[in-house]
Amino acid sequence: MPLDLVLPRNSRIKPGKSHKAPAGAKNVKEFHIYRYDPDQKKNPTIDIFEIDLDEIGPMVLDALIKIKDDIDPTLTFRRSCREGICGSCAMCIDGINTLSCLKPIADIKGPVKIYPLPHLEVIKDLVPDVNHLYAQYASIEPWMKNRTPMPKKERLQSPEERDKLDGLWECILCFCCATSCPSYWWNADRYLGPAILLQAARWVLDSRDEEQGSRLDELEDPFKLYRCHTILNCTKACPKGLNPAKAIADLKVLMMERIV
Amino acid sequence: MAIMRSALGRARGLGSAKDGFHHWWIERLTAIALVPLTLWFATGVISVAGADYAAFAAWLGKPWNAGLMICFISAAFLHGKMGMEVIVEDYVSPRCLQLSVRILLNLMAFALGIFSIVSVLIVALGG
Repeated sequence: MPLDLVLPRNSRIKPGKSHKAPAGAKNVKEFHIYRYDPDQKKNPTIDIFEIDLDEIGPMVLDALIKIKDDIDPTLTFRRSCREGICGSCAMCIDGINTLSCLKPIADIKGPVKIYPLPHLEVIKDLVPDVNHLYAQYASIEPWMKNRTPMPKKERLQSPEERDKLDGLWECILCFCCATSCPSYWWNADRYLGPAILLQAARWVLDSRDEEQGSRLDELEDPFKLYRCHTILNCTKACPKGLNPAKAIADLKVLMMERIV
Repeated sequence: MAIMRSALGRARGLGSAKDGFHHWWIERLTAIALVPLTLWFATGVISVAGADYAAFAAWLGKPWNAGLMICFISAAFLHGKMGMEVIVEDYVSPRCLQLSVRILLNLMAFALGIFSIVSVLIVALGG
């Protein structure tokens, strides 16, 4: 097949366990959660958990923690800061990639469906393998590069120059954007995707960096940069309200600036 | 084949092609050109709709119309070919099939474009 139109046989999802709410619970909500255990050598399943919302905080992460603490300690997910700063708890909730710590349960009608970030290999349950994304991040050399000898004090930047980094430095590398991008799904091996390109723009647009040209050289490629077809799922998904599509467009404009 | 290459080695891959802008730029240039050209083509074809061959040949025989028709054909085939190439790169993954389709696309677009332009010239010049 030219395309992966159906999931491979061992990835197809089957019905899983069902956990009922305790008797007397008044404010019950169903959570349908993707489960996969590599040790079981079985297909992934969807487990159903009924949770009394009166017992937990308002966010989806609160429900996941409740399940892990009180119902099924084998449920596996990443989380750390629980306030949208660390980017660990990115997952696909109600069909949209977002941070579970910032997603109010009240926003979701019907059962809350939770899957790992799409189109990555699943390590266990809601934990995907993001090694390739980190390697792609390393590949853009995300650090200051200068030829001017190291100054005695800090490298200066005008307020206007600093303004150009707004909307870029706030990225927490949760990869909600990259894994919402169909272009990244089909060509992740060669396309850098919105998260890494936004980071690339963050260094290309930093007035203190002196390798703007060689950074653009490295990006000018039919796949690394130009696989972006302005689908804009990235901008829609970003839980920090950033605009990776705009950052990519800025890079394309700079490519044009130096040729046309 | 077992893959033991490092994640960074795989991410860096074959490096940048130092190319890609040109394809992007020509796609946009032809898209801009096709906006007025398509409007002209639609109104032009409607103006001779239902007319006989002689009337159509007389219409196409005007230098202005023949020239714009050749511009329209060139831009449309070039733009269509470039867009199709990107779609094939995105969606057809087996390398051998992808290359075959791309070669076919290029040859077809070139041949059909030339065929169309020659046809315009023959009609316009009253052949």
